[in-house]
Parts: sequence; C-alpha cells; structure tokens
Amino acid sequence: MTEVAPVRERPRGVTAPVRFGTGAVAVLVAAGVALSLLDHPGFRAWETIAVALTVQALPFLLFGTAISGAVSAFVPERVFSRLLPRNPALAVPVAGAAGVVLPGCECASVPVAGSLIRRGVTPAAAFAFLLSAPAVNPVVLVATAVAFPGQPAMVAARLVASLVTAAGMGWLWLRFGRPEWLRMPARPTGHRTGVSRWEEFRTGFQHDFLHAGGFLVVGALAAATFNVLVPRSVLDAFAGSPWLSVLFLAGLAVVLAVCSEADAFVAASLTGFSPTARLAFLVMGPMVDVKLIALQAGTFGRAFAVRFSAATAVLAVVCSALTGWWLL
Amino acid sequence: MRRPVQAVLLLLAGAAVLHISLLTELWLRYVKEGLRPYLIASGLVLVALGVLGAIRDGLPFFEGLGSSPGASEADAGGRPDSPARSSRAARALPGGSEEQGHEHGDSHEHSHGHDHRHGPGVAWLLFLPVVALLVYAPPALGAYTAARGNDKPVAAVAAFDPLPAGEPVPLSLSQFIARVQQDESRAVARRTVLLTGFVTPAGGGDWYVTRLVVSCCAADSQTLRVRVHGVPAPPADSWVRVTGTWHPDGTLGTAGAVAGLDARAVRPTAPPVNPYWDNVPAL
Repeated sequence: MTEVAPVRERPRGVTAPVRFGTGAVAVLVAAGVALSLLDHPGFRAWETIAVALTVQALPFLLFGTAISGAVSAFVPERVFSRLLPRNPALAVPVAGAAGVVLPGCECASVPVAGSLIRRGVTPAAAFAFLLSAPAVNPVVLVATAVAFPGQPAMVAARLVASLVTAAGMGWLWLRFGRPEWLRMPARPTGHRTGVSRWEEFRTGFQHDFLHAGGFLVVGALAAATFNVLVPRSVLDAFAGSPWLSVLFLAGLAVVLAVCSEADAFVAASLTGFSPTARLAFLVMGPMVDVKLIALQAGTFGRAFAVRFSAATAVLAVVCSALTGWWLL
Repeated sequence: MRRPVQAVLLLLAGAAVLHISLLTELWLRYVKEGLRPYLIASGLVLVALGVLGAIRDGLPFFEGLGSSPGASEADAGGRPDSPARSSRAARALPGGSEEQGHEHGDSHEHSHGHDHRHGPGVAWLLFLPVVALLVYAPPALGAYTAARGNDKPVAAVAAFDPLPAGEPVPLSLSQFIARVQQDESRAVARRTVLLTGFVTPAGGGDWYVTRLVVSCCAADSQTLRVRVHGVPAPPADSWVRVTGTWHPDGTLGTAGAVAGLDARAVRPTAPPVNPYWDNVPAL
C-alpha cells in the first residue's frame, strides 16, 4: 500500500486528466517496485497468494454484491418485516438458520448483510445471518464431511458451534450494541421515484463491488503476508497443550483467511492437533479473519468491525471448546 | 474514484479475469480447476458493467460522451478549485488512510445529498491485482512454499490394486506415499517407480521431489514430498522425472516407513499445465 503513496502528494484542484494520469503513474510505480523485488522467492509466493485470494473471492464477491444491489433496488422493505419475526430476539435465530440458503463463502455474506440492514432488517438479525451463512451452508458442510471422512461428529459440531456463536452475537448486539458504532458508508439505497430500477441496480451493484473489492485487496494483502511469514513448522510447538492449541488454531484461522469452502481441508491437515482445536479453526475462520475484518470495516465502519470481531472471536472460542467437549 | 475511472477499472478487471480463465490456463496457478466457469462468468459480468458504465458515464478524457443525465456536468464542466472537488480528491486516496478518506466521504455525501458519482477511493487498490494479472501473472507456488508448508495427509486406501507390469511403474506422489506407508503386500518393494514433481532443497545437499496440492486457492496449499537419495539436487523449483526404488527406512507397509527413493535417474521435464494436480506421470 505504501507503494501508491505518491498520490497523496497530489496538489489540490488539479484537472481530471492530470488526476487520472497521477493515478496511472502511481499504479505503474507500484508495478515497477513489485517487478524489482521479483527475485526473492518469498516475495513471489506472497504475490501469488495475494492474487490467488483475490481471484478466488472475486466470483463470490460479485455474487454477493449483485444480490445486495438487487435487494436494494427491487425488494420492498415490507418483505423482510413479513419474513422475520417481529420480536428481534426471535428474529436473530431465524436469520441465523436462514444462513443455510446462501451457498457461498464469507465474501458474499458481508455485502448481503449490509443490504439487509439498509432494507430495515434489525442489525442483530443481519449479523446472525452474516456470521452463520458462510459456516453452515450445504457447500461448506459437504466439504467438511469430505475432509473428515468417517467423522460425522465434526460436521455436526461445526454446525452447532457456528449457529450458537452466530445467534449469540446477534443477542449480544441486541443487549449491548450501540447504533453509533455502526457507520455504514452512504450509497445509493432503495428505490427513488423518477429513476429506473435497473439503473439503480447497476449503480448500487457497481458501488458495492468496487468498495468491497478494494477492502478485499487490503485483506488479501494482509492474509498473504501472514501466510508467507508464519512457517507451519511452528504449529507443532503448540500442538501438545490442549488449551493453547485451541487458542493457537483459532488465531491461525484469523491470520490465514482461508475460504470457508476450503478451510476443512486445511484443518484436516493439522494432524497434530486435538479435534476441539481443529473445530475452533473451523468455527473461527468463516466468522473472523483479516480479510473479513477489512470487508466489515468497509461495509459497517471501523469502530464496528473492531468491536464485533473481537467479541465474535471470544464467543467462537468458547462455543468451540464447549461443543468440542460435548460432541468430539 | 470517479465514475469514468470506475468504468476503466471494471473493463480492465474483466479483461484480466477473462485473460486468466478463458484465454489462457493461468487460473490454475491461483485457484482450483473447478472455479473456471465462475471466473469466466465474473469476467463477463465485469466487462458488461464496464461497457454499461462507459456508455452511461463516459470514459476519462471522453466524459462528455456519457448518456447519463448530468454525468458530464459535475465532472468535466465542474469548478476545478471548488471545495467539493478537493474533498473528492481526498477520497480518491488509495488505501493509505482509509479512515480519513471515509470520514471525508461520509461528510461529503451527507452534506451534498445523494451524489454518488464518486465511488469509494479504496477501489484504487483493485488496480494492483488487475495490473499484476494483465502485465505479469505471478508464478505458481513452488519450493519456497513447499519447504514451509504443512504435509498433506495421504488418505487411507481401502484396497490396493496390483501394480501394473513393466518398469518403471508411474505413480503419483500420493500413490507412492500410500504404497510405502499402507500397502501390507509390499508390492512396491524391489519395483522401479517413476515420480514427477518439482525440486525442493532440504539443506545439506538433500532434496525432495515435491507437489503442492490446493483445495480451493493457493493460500491453502499443502505439500506432498518424497526424499530423493543418491543424486545431487537439481536447481530448486525445476520440474524433474525421478526413477528409482524405495529407500529402505522403517518397516515397509506401516505408518513408520519413510517415503524416500534411491534414485537411478533424474531427468528435467516441462512444468505441467496444472501445477497443483498430483497426477500420475506419463511414461
């Protein structure tokens, strides 16, 4: 990111072509700096992983922002107030369970949850949906079953721990959440008379995608950095202690930011760890990771993302430990 | 980021995605094989958004051509020194200070009603992967990652088929590791096998023939490796075909056996199209 810093020195009031030119030059400078570092294999690996994370998330992000744009432009607010229970405390678990219908990974659920809040869904219910959708949808559960053959308890434990964490965070938000933490950036919202709904869809979709896409790049760069810097051999040092191993794998899920459709395969490869520690990895990954924190900061504001992710991380570890003790 | 620039970004992003998924096989360096149709669809959507954006909002230097009502008046005909303009410029800052950029953006949009012609500044960062893919596609992961990654557990094999007749026997790395550690009939003993993979040096002149296996994208790669004995290490990351016999270490057919090869011949070979597929080498 520092590579594009020259844009900051741009004088005020320059004309549009000059501004575009500076942007293009900055990008070229960044590419030049990148090219000059190519010789180090660690840098090449970092580059590949950052690009891979972005490319992998792109279809899901487009899907999520298309839904978000469509919800804003075409779906009237009363639809959601009819679908969800009037009582927010009841709406939370219903919305959490509704996460099973969004077949995707976490990148799709952030913009969708954002559009739900804009359409009047109580934030607590939207957050329960945000947390549960990437963890409990059929694609992810099947991937988990494939990665852990002969261990259906792992699939059940993942489902239970994720749903409980998601509903728990929704209820926590109802009880302790403050609206001022939630600072959603302004964007085209809802249908305005005199404007074509399709044009509203296009501009909303485009805005959401570019916005979330920028934050996706931030998250991918951070995740790639951790991915390259954390040698997996240090894992063995923590595998022995039952409590430390749970915390360590939960932390690893945060920094690696592996897609929720693939994290079960990574968890399966961490053979030295207890099943409960691996469960913590599976529950934490789709709810809190560096890529998601960046996306949430972009969609809901930084004050929210920091508090919400910290609370979710604690609750996810607690739920994983209890569920693991019960089921695994 | 102004709308005409957004159109350029969307067009370039669509071109980059179509470049790696439709026109070349570069997507295999980054994500699993099955993601290709989704990538092609994403590329088409991005190009469509970019074309629509260019028609409605114009392109940089040609903003007057946009058909969207008012698309040109705020940008091309605007007042270069107005405060609104500089606050927009502040918002176009890439990433560096997101907070500042955002708060600027919010206050601007609130004070001016709903003028959304100027999208998020953080979107400038999307140029990084887009330009990287278009001008220089980063290479597939190799020895650096394999040396630091965690080993992929080889799935339990219920029953082993007899090895084919003829020498050498071509095997994938996971097949060879499974034969060494699970096959109680010890069919692999005294047979010459053929393995392919890239070279990962292990220090002290030792090396492994290696494969990386990816379940979703390159960030979740796991390593398959077989120690090669008796032949000095070729250059790291070069792809080789290794023929040899099992290097006795531990009891063959049990989990204690170490997957290693006493090499007879090591020949360079071309890197495969799909770098993360542990396939059986052709003879």
